[in-house]
Amino acid sequence: MSAELDAAVRQGYAPATALTVAAPPAPSRGTAGEVTPQTAAGQVAAAVGRASDRGARIAAVAIALAWHCVIGLPAVLANRAELAAPGVVLAAWAVVAVVGVLAGFRLLRHAPLPAWPLAGLLLAVDATVFAAAGERQLFTTANWVWGTLGWFFMLALWGRRVRGLIALLTAHSLIALVAVVGYGATAPADLARFAMYVYGTSSLPIAAYVGSAVVAVLARERATTSAATHAMAAERDAAERARRDRRDRLALVGGAAGAVLAELADGRADPADPVVQRRAVLAAARLRRLIAESDDVPDALLHELRAAADLAERNGLPIDLVTIGTPPPLPVQVRRQLADPLTATLADARGWARLTVVSDPGEVVVSLVTPDRNGPDATGPPEWDDGSHEGRVDRIYERDGEIRWVQTRWRR
Amino acid sequence: MGADPVAAMSGGRPIGVAIVDDHPVVVDGVRAWLSTEPLLTVLATGDDPDEVLRAAPDADVVLLDLRLHGRMALGKLAELSAAGRRVVVYSEHTDPETMLAALDAGAVAFLAKHEGREHCVATVLAAASDRPYVPPALAGAMVGDPRPDRPVLSDKEREALLLWFQSMSKASVARRMRISEHTVKQYVDRARIKYTRAGRPAATKAALLARAIEDGLIRPEEIGIYRSQARYDRPTP
Repeated sequence: MSAELDAAVRQGYAPATALTVAAPPAPSRGTAGEVTPQTAAGQVAAAVGRASDRGARIAAVAIALAWHCVIGLPAVLANRAELAAPGVVLAAWAVVAVVGVLAGFRLLRHAPLPAWPLAGLLLAVDATVFAAAGERQLFTTANWVWGTLGWFFMLALWGRRVRGLIALLTAHSLIALVAVVGYGATAPADLARFAMYVYGTSSLPIAAYVGSAVVAVLARERATTSAATHAMAAERDAAERARRDRRDRLALVGGAAGAVLAELADGRADPADPVVQRRAVLAAARLRRLIAESDDVPDALLHELRAAADLAERNGLPIDLVTIGTPPPLPVQVRRQLADPLTATLADARGWARLTVVSDPGEVVVSLVTPDRNGPDATGPPEWDDGSHEGRVDRIYERDGEIRWVQTRWRR
Repeated sequence: MGADPVAAMSGGRPIGVAIVDDHPVVVDGVRAWLSTEPLLTVLATGDDPDEVLRAAPDADVVLLDLRLHGRMALGKLAELSAAGRRVVVYSEHTDPETMLAALDAGAVAFLAKHEGREHCVATVLAAASDRPYVPPALAGAMVGDPRPDRPVLSDKEREALLLWFQSMSKASVARRMRISEHTVKQYVDRARIKYTRAGRPAATKAALLARAIEDGLIRPEEIGIYRSQARYDRPTP
């Protein structure tokens, strides 16, 4: 077994089983409270790994129990008379059968197994059967522990490092060696037989054990690669869409600004005309915002605010959106509490609007200022959901005759 | 404080302004803005700082477009500031890094081009008497300064900067903070004075600091112990 394979078994396989044994893995969440492509890929890979592992578990339980019943039991019964203590051998067989059924049951339900007590019990059975089988049945199938016990070791240590299984099989071989020497079967032919038995009974469980681990690791890797590829493609699509979106808006904004400028140059539009002035103000505000959108990393909060600003702008409101710093990843609820009061007021704004976002890792302050109009609010102070959440969001709403001012502030 | 900036100018002589910009339409626009203030007179304009200053060696304030012929003129800015020229940078590049870099290089003030006539005139008037003027965009850059060696601002100074940046109305900030407009301006200006300690030394920074002490905006004993200044939260009388 190569060191590489061992490492693969240790790193890739053992943790996957540890997850399934300890508890169903909680879906890993990004700090933003959203499942990121990377964690999604991890989840897919873990699911594929689990599915692959389940198949291996079923196979292992089936092999162990079938071997025990189909090969072990008939041999014991057929050679009952030849055994030194047939009752003990049969009882030991029954103990291992019960242990095997219970362990298999738990293994298939992904319930934890007491691995080392189980291993101890199996080794005790091992020694007992070697003693009870007697000299004449030492190398026959009636001494069922030779060939069968390796499979039960595999069940007991499922999902652990392969070196544990090797240690158990070594102990198993030592017990057999003690019995062989104890019974005086030290002739070269006997020792050769012993070596053959050790090789024959150890190699299969180890091969199956490692094979299942490697298959699970490979399945996980393939699933990770495929999920990562999908995530990358999705990100590329999103970036491409954002680029196209920005280009389209630039064309739209440029067209609007160009039309005003052309009319002014031709003398068709009068710079003193309030309508022309307003068109110019709108076009300038749009261009400014487009230039300010320099963030390449998509930020959910800014995205929401920008969408609200776009909407207001489409309704003819010149709006400045100035961002300082990069908001830390925020849970959806916090983001909603930061943005919603402003978007509600924005929908009601007339004249102009100034939307600012100032962020550092411990604080995000969002503010909307619009002129204060006479008369009562059309919408009133925005709704305020004061549910419990990560960190604290404060909100201030003010009208002072000059401006209407909504400010939301999150502190870690 | 409260001193008439113009009274500080020698003998009521109008304040001479030089405008450096590579877009004639912007030069004309700024000239039109400044012409609304009788105390200001534009002495020279052009797209090369050296030529403009040769034409107007006595200019009190230089309005410098930070981007000349496609290049950021930060080196030129530092050179002029080191020589004691009061440079007001104005630019459409209003990302905080650029604004703070301009302050570090010794600019007396930074004005975003879209901030309009009022801020432009006020900034030039303040600059002429070595007094700080912080337009909202610059306040935003200062409040969001992420650099580890940024000046330490008191909570009140930071809050005043933040609210001024958000609302662009000192009256509204005063109402919100329950202090006078004058005190809002003091907090904002004190924060700006603290930035004279950031970046390399420049004659213009020393002049701003000296005038701040003269005006009682900052006490002499606060100079040199800037790290502990966050404790001095009371406005000066």
